[in-house]
Amino acid sequence: MPEHKHNKKFLERLHAQFGQDIETKILKEIAEHMGNCPDCKIYVDSVKQTVKIYKVTQSDQSVPEDVSNRLFKTLKLKRHST
Amino acid sequence: MLVGKAKAGDKSAIASIVANESGRIFNLGLKLMQNVEDAEDILQETFLIFINKISTFKENSSIGTWLYRIATNVALGKLRAKELINKDISIHDTDFESLKGYEIRNWPHEPEKEMDADAFQDCLQMAMKTLPDDYRIVFVLRDLEGMSTKETARLLNISESNVKIRLMRGRLILRDQLAIKLKCVERK
Repeated sequence: MPEHKHNKKFLERLHAQFGQDIETKILKEIAEHMGNCPDCKIYVDSVKQTVKIYKVTQSDQSVPEDVSNRLFKTLKLKRHST
Repeated sequence: MLVGKAKAGDKSAIASIVANESGRIFNLGLKLMQNVEDAEDILQETFLIFINKISTFKENSSIGTWLYRIATNVALGKLRAKELINKDISIHDTDFESLKGYEIRNWPHEPEKEMDADAFQDCLQMAMKTLPDDYRIVFVLRDLEGMSTKETARLLNISESNVKIRLMRGRLILRDQLAIKLKCVERK
């Protein structure tokens, strides 16, 4: 397979569209290019998956009890009983 | 109304808002700073500012949004103290691909199943920690917190195109780190 050079403008537009409403014209352009370009498919899939993985692994956790206690102490507030 | 009472100085109402909103602020700090100590600093500073400024809160947005903006600015201040994160980045500064001389092949369908769960988690954390601050903050705000390009640009006082460039670079660096660990790169 000949070495593939990603088109910088194309990639910039692609990244700008992730996670947003994709304009139909751009979506069509992307779909057409991806259908003929295995390199771009790997590129897009890998970046998309990376973002997805981080969304899952960086999901919210509860505030540790000691952190919460120090916060209320610093703010000189009483915690409500839950 | 809780906010009205808090604006009037009602400590019980203020405590309720702190209790309700502290989780979101702590987690934002954790994502931006990647360590619990700095996240706790952001949490405390945000709510100290909140208490000092609550009487001036104009209610143009929700209290949660207002607190979120305060927290982001506190975090930015911390990051700026460490290094300059507001310099403009040109699309031509460096190449897009950070895997110099290599390219990604056979990206796995489920990368998280390709290695031990703890090792995978460590790999993700290490990549986030080593991501330059100006890329990480944009990645967190845009991809993890779901802010728009416009909002992110306004908050960081940079152009929308710079938000896009930083987001793209950040994503690629994280992807490349993952690719190396997953051993799905080959020499060109």
